[in-house]
Amino acid sequence: MSETRPSDQPDEAMVDLLIKQVTEGLSPAEQRALDVLDSELASTYARDLERAAAALTLAGSSKGPPLPAALAQRLAQQAAEHFASRDQGADPRVADPGKVSDQRKVSDAEKAADSGKVADLGEARSAAADRARAQLSAAPRTTRNGAYGWLAAAACLVLAIIGWLRSPAPGVVPVANVPTPPRVEAPPIAPPALPTAEEERAALLANPNALKITLGATKDPAAAGVSGDVVWDSATQRGFLHFAGLAANDPAVHQYQIWIFDAARDKRYPVDAGVFDVPANAAEVVIPIRATLMVHKPAAFAVTVEKPGGVVVSGLEHVVALGKTG
Amino acid sequence: MLQRIASGDPVAVRECIDQFGPLVWSLARRLSRTPSDAEDATQEIFLDIWRSAGRFDASQGSDKVFIAMIARRRLIDRLRKTSAEPPMDPVEVLETIAWSDPGTASEISIEAEQAAKALAELRPEQRQVLELGLLHGLSQSEIAARLSMPLGTVKSFMRRGLIKVREYMNVDAEGILSEG
Repeated sequence: MSETRPSDQPDEAMVDLLIKQVTEGLSPAEQRALDVLDSELASTYARDLERAAAALTLAGSSKGPPLPAALAQRLAQQAAEHFASRDQGADPRVADPGKVSDQRKVSDAEKAADSGKVADLGEARSAAADRARAQLSAAPRTTRNGAYGWLAAAACLVLAIIGWLRSPAPGVVPVANVPTPPRVEAPPIAPPALPTAEEERAALLANPNALKITLGATKDPAAAGVSGDVVWDSATQRGFLHFAGLAANDPAVHQYQIWIFDAARDKRYPVDAGVFDVPANAAEVVIPIRATLMVHKPAAFAVTVEKPGGVVVSGLEHVVALGKTG
Repeated sequence: MLQRIASGDPVAVRECIDQFGPLVWSLARRLSRTPSDAEDATQEIFLDIWRSAGRFDASQGSDKVFIAMIARRRLIDRLRKTSAEPPMDPVEVLETIAWSDPGTASEISIEAEQAAKALAELRPEQRQVLELGLLHGLSQSEIAARLSMPLGTVKSFMRRGLIKVREYMNVDAEGILSEG
């Protein structure tokens, strides 16, 4: 490993501040001190350190519990709200005075994002960040504040959001229903029914560009009588497994896990595409495939039996179904 | 996917929530003071993602690093605001945190693999400082108190670890550029 040349290194005080900035944040006084030292070199160094911190964070990320369904739904609603408002040229938080405090608390991080310098924390440093911090300290702490004002704004956005939801091609699941504020009882508006996995699969099967392959049982005892197929669309990285005869599992004991072998990747490490369960008495199941990495050249799909929650790298000891392309 | 999100593609939005939701949720749970804070943080992080997706530049790193950077910024911002409050009960954070090994971290992202390689060259106590600071959200002062270690040593270990990873990432980038 070669060392960086001294002339490329900021001085020690600056490095200390930059490291503190990317690991725990700076006090206003420290921020001012860093601004005084600010330079292109510091900006570049700050960006590199932030990427390094993010990489370490990923290297330490574990398979935790899945995102709660209710929270996922709120995220989808928030996204629908955001894009519908953006398309109308308005920021939903600005439209609602009750959300101004929330907008203020979107401080350093959001300013950095909005400035177009998501990958460059160094350049995002500015006196404005100090002002934002001052606003932050005065801002209410939770997003629930101003919720009633938000309700009123949400009602005004319903039509726009419904229009946005209808924009996908036929067969595509709408992302959200009707905007509601976080953890606030919503008015009793009946959401439109979401397509089932079976309906989504049928739509994908009708796509002439989608990959369709047959899954075969392996010699594993758990694979006896299993049959199924895969439909996969590389353009959208979406797909479904369809099974018959797969034994029901106890999620507390083991789960099924989907793997995609990508010809563009090391074949020892197929792409994790999610875990699933088969309920008792299920004659057939349709399972969405959720690849955790981009699949460039799908070569095969496999289903293994793994411990609850799945594994990062499978030993492929218990493969119950396998289907190869071509 | 991020470019499609920037254009308001609702399918890409859903894919993003499916694909990165668990990562963001995991980070938010670790670096938040309460479960309620973790939910608020997750919503703020995804709003940041919707707003900045159009600025993703694949030449600067993977989408996972892009998301992790956005998440870390937001979470650090929130931690600073709530630093006087007690941290989340460890029981609330059920998942075990462990560094990925070189060779397996490549499944997460190329940057995670580079970080794993760099970590393998560090001493256990240096890795522990990085773990407490980056994965558990402790400040350098809190780490020093937790480990009964001089603050200067904590700073030194943190610096050495981050610079080591930075070196790996820059060397790899230079290698890729020279190959191109």
